[in-house]
Amino acid sequence: MGTLYEDIVAYGGEVFGEEHMETLRECVQCGKCTGGCPSGRNTALRTRKLFQMALLDLREEIFNAPELWFCSTCFTCYERCPKGVKTTDIIRIIRNLAAKEGHMSVPHRMIGVYVLKTGHAVPIGPDQMKLREAVGLESQPPTTQKYKEQLEQVQKIFRTTNYDAMIDFDWDTMNLRGMEKGGKK
Amino acid sequence: MINIETPRIGVYICHCGVNIAATVDVKEVARFASDMPCVVIARDYQYMCSDPGQELIKRDIKEHGLNRVVVASCSPRMHEPTFRNACEDAGVNPYCFEMANLREQCAWVHSDKDKATEKAKDLVASAIGKAALLEPLERKKVGVVPRALVIGGGVAGIYAALEIADKGFETYLVEKEPSIGGHMAQLDKTFPTLDCSACILTPKMVEAERHKNIQLLTYSEVKEVSGYIGNYKVKIRKRPRYVDEQKCTGCGECANACRLRGRIPNEFDAGMAMRSAIYVPFPQAVPLIYTVDAERCLYITKGKCGKYPACKEACPADAIDFELLEEEIEVEVGTIVVATGYELLDLAEKPEYGYKYDEVLTGLEFERLSVASGPTSGKIIINGKEPKEVVFISCIGSRSRKEDECEYCSRVCCMYIAKQAHLVREKIPDAKVKVLYNDVRAYGKGFEEFYNRARKEGVEYIRKELEDPVEVVKRKGEDEKVVIKTIIEGEKIEIEADLVVMANAIVPRKDADELAKILKITKSADGFFLEAHPKLRPLDTFTDGIFIAGCCQSPKDIPDSVAQGVGAAIRASIPLMRGEVEIEPLVASINEDVCVGCGTCEAICPFDALSLEEGVMHVKEVVCKGCGSCGSACPSGAISMKHFKDEQIYAQIEVML
Repeated sequence: MGTLYEDIVAYGGEVFGEEHMETLRECVQCGKCTGGCPSGRNTALRTRKLFQMALLDLREEIFNAPELWFCSTCFTCYERCPKGVKTTDIIRIIRNLAAKEGHMSVPHRMIGVYVLKTGHAVPIGPDQMKLREAVGLESQPPTTQKYKEQLEQVQKIFRTTNYDAMIDFDWDTMNLRGMEKGGKK
Repeated sequence: MINIETPRIGVYICHCGVNIAATVDVKEVARFASDMPCVVIARDYQYMCSDPGQELIKRDIKEHGLNRVVVASCSPRMHEPTFRNACEDAGVNPYCFEMANLREQCAWVHSDKDKATEKAKDLVASAIGKAALLEPLERKKVGVVPRALVIGGGVAGIYAALEIADKGFETYLVEKEPSIGGHMAQLDKTFPTLDCSACILTPKMVEAERHKNIQLLTYSEVKEVSGYIGNYKVKIRKRPRYVDEQKCTGCGECANACRLRGRIPNEFDAGMAMRSAIYVPFPQAVPLIYTVDAERCLYITKGKCGKYPACKEACPADAIDFELLEEEIEVEVGTIVVATGYELLDLAEKPEYGYKYDEVLTGLEFERLSVASGPTSGKIIINGKEPKEVVFISCIGSRSRKEDECEYCSRVCCMYIAKQAHLVREKIPDAKVKVLYNDVRAYGKGFEEFYNRARKEGVEYIRKELEDPVEVVKRKGEDEKVVIKTIIEGEKIEIEADLVVMANAIVPRKDADELAKILKITKSADGFFLEAHPKLRPLDTFTDGIFIAGCCQSPKDIPDSVAQGVGAAIRASIPLMRGEVEIEPLVASINEDVCVGCGTCEAICPFDALSLEEGVMHVKEVVCKGCGSCGSACPSGAISMKHFKDEQIYAQIEVML
């Protein structure tokens, strides 16, 4: 484990190429990212601050910052950055590193739970089923949500990749550990 | 000179495009002026300052026999010389011209056309009233001593001296320190080209020493300056070196023998290396003559150095002479170039920056640490080992709102930090280099490219706000590192370092005040010498014949200092080449029948232009600037200002009432 910057370059480099990740150092803290951030308008997400924390090697602070997960990856900052910092991709890599070390927001982990239980990140609920029937469709499309036997294939992928462990999934309760009663962890 | 001709005045109202004409009814003002007494002709015209505008004046002077001209247009700061020249060309004395300012003082500041027109009439009437009483004046010419003085032997001063000397004029180059070279001689590589600073400077130092027209006066200071452009008398104090300059061969045997050898911090090495009490600051010093440090030498301070001074015994040339005395040298010069350079903000007075720790250096100290000829032979070593974590901090004392710091930008720090960061990476490839900065101002040729190169090489730039406090402390215990504590974005940050380099502000020299008084030149609010115009006269001062160059005017880098040194030298050479200077005749004059010789004016004159001779005050017209202080102070009303006489000013007021 090197500095956070080095980890970002090494880990993100495998996906995007190292040069892509190294643009983090070009950040001059102008704040255009934060100024135009649609999510930041309603949340505590301050993209400029996230990058300053990354450059200052504040690993624990940034991994535990709830706002790390508030980016909706709309790429507005990515388009606007005057220094060509690959903002959104860097945020995604920081999230990956955070997740690897056991820091992952509950809503993001819950998406994993939905996929485990239905094969859908956004499962089809009763409202959507009614809507489908109203326009003459079957209440459920032919996916893993309908064919439970196929769902096992999905769960096998989770087990093989240890994704279940990463989100702290409890196979007995079929929910996140500590979330049995639907309460927040 | 009493003017007995009847005034025949021509009045010209300028439209200045629409600048004046949109707000002032210029035709009405011209009609009004034509009815004034003594006015022979009054016209309005699109642009009076244009060639046809000037031709109009010249033609009227000839056709209508005008002997006074009034132009109502812009500020006299803009075009007074233009119209004076036009008058002179047509045979009217240039001081029989008067200007009314209808643009800055009327059209631009008013919107009601009727009222503005009325005010314009008043202004024009006032100018006509004065014009009727104007008297022709003659510009005086004085001879010029064909020699120049350059104060300060840094890179700007060296270039200035060489430039004047190359033009064939004898030049005195005065330097306070034992050697010329200034700060540039102390630097390692220069940004952005990475030239060796000393390698490019020393040939110029030698050239200055060998030049037949340059007389080097090192270890010397200017103590007194009197006179005026073309004829300055300068007293120079030459401190005794206690070494015969003719005999010393620069062999260095004396320094080797000195009992204090290796015990005195060498100023040239920013105190990072030791020298003897007899020394040259650095091996390439010009002149290569040893100097006894009178404040340290045992023989001088205690009267005794063993049985016999060791240096004297060692000197093969018998050059050491403790009997030498201070000399006062008097020289006469026509013009003076001031290139006295700068100092760095003293961090010892600012404990928060942790300057007392060995791990904290100033930018200049880093130069000595990094330069191959320095105390470590160019190895970057702190506490006996190579620093692996190096942090540079910019804007220390610059761009600050604190009262004891500087509001201006010191201009060179961003680039020397990039250069020094590059040098650290080059010499210690596994070092982590961080730069705490607010903005990077890479404004010059090749600067942005160099800055980008430093970033690409892996120098980490971390932005902080200027207001974010910086504190450097040393961690106690086994881990001997210094820690930079700051607050960035509201978060407390601690950065560990083996070496911290502070880019402390460039400040005016402490003796700048004294020199400003000696030379009667002014300083700006920041303490640097003030140029006559920030854009169009950057090398002139308000005192004719004295010019400024280099960092004594404001912080600047080497190319800018060289450009200014050469530029100031050219400005200073003009009077020398012409051999005479014209003096403005707008000066004080004394009515000797009324003057009682009380001396009030003499005390108040900021230019020493008045002196009492046989009970009556006399004006040195070449020195007088016509400021009028004496005239308003004179209790007997004996002083009047030429071109601004009481009756002329009363006439201006009267016609408006």
